Amino acid sequence: MIFSSELIKGTFRTIVLKLLSDNKKMYGYEITQKLKELTFDKIQITEGSLYPTLHALESEGLVTTETEFIGKRVRKYYSLSPAGKIKMKEKISEFADFMNTMQFLLDIKTKTA
Amino acid sequence: MYCLNDQQVEYILDDIRRNGIELEDLQLNLLDHICCIVEQGLKEEDDFERFYHETIKQFYTRDLREIEDETIYLLTFKNYYTMKKIMMASGALSVFAFITGSFFKIMHWPGTAAMLVLGITILSLIFLPLMAIIKIRERTTLRDKLVVMIGALVGVLYTMSTLFAIEHWAGRTVLWLSTVCVSMFVLIPVYFFTGIRKPETKANTIVTSILLVGATCLLFTMINLHPGK
Repeated sequence: MIFSSELIKGTFRTIVLKLLSDNKKMYGYEITQKLKELTFDKIQITEGSLYPTLHALESEGLVTTETEFIGKRVRKYYSLSPAGKIKMKEKISEFADFMNTMQFLLDIKTKTA
Repeated sequence: MYCLNDQQVEYILDDIRRNGIELEDLQLNLLDHICCIVEQGLKEEDDFERFYHETIKQFYTRDLREIEDETIYLLTFKNYYTMKKIMMASGALSVFAFITGSFFKIMHWPGTAAMLVLGITILSLIFLPLMAIIKIRERTTLRDKLVVMIGALVGVLYTMSTLFAIEHWAGRTVLWLSTVCVSMFVLIPVYFFTGIRKPETKANTIVTSILLVGATCLLFTMINLHPGK
């Protein structure tokens, strides 16, 4: 099952920040592939939402960039800035709180081993 | 893995540009992304152009330009909040200067003019233009944007006219007359004919238009058309 884009929308920035935190530096295509791999294709992000988000994160100073020339094309690597690390922790904590509230609100029983 | 040649890379870049992507940074990001997909998926016997066009279709729902629109929207959204904060701060500062200036005026204390000039200048040159920019962005139709734009212009003219009048500066009569004319012959008709078309704003538009005509007429009666007398 692939999660709907409505579900992913609100957490997309958090996902990107976390991926960049776990990997030293990543480029756009790599981010999409990594996400597919980690979620067993359940989360598939479109290029239409990835690049606008990456540009916004860059302009907000949450990620830093470096470029590498590959023949005639340029590859842009993104990595987390110190401000991005703080933001990522805030976002994850906020999301964890949100999940707890939703579990209670929707009466979702967590699986126990 | 397929390896794209320089001509094919150029072909992709040209197509990205032709499809409305103008931000260079975004062009390069998309180019690399598409190249990666093509190199991973294209077989030696496959047709490059067909494979490329099938790939690029997955990037959008309407057209490729929507990625750039979304990028610009996200980038300006950040400024939107900064602008809103500056607008609120300048509004608060302006009100503070106004109230203090008015109190100083009643008490005949020194510093009245400085306070009023500061209050009016901030209101007309920072608060009103920022409010107009924010409101214009929120409006969807060109007509509504135009009403906000003219409204802000009249607001700036009105506050500047007041400043010129209380400071007895030269050109105050011309400024007052310009304010009255723009308000009466441009703002009110545009506002009236925009609002009257919509059933939900019809009643409100009539009442506000009457109030605006009344206020503009009152303003006109205060203008000294013969300053020499």
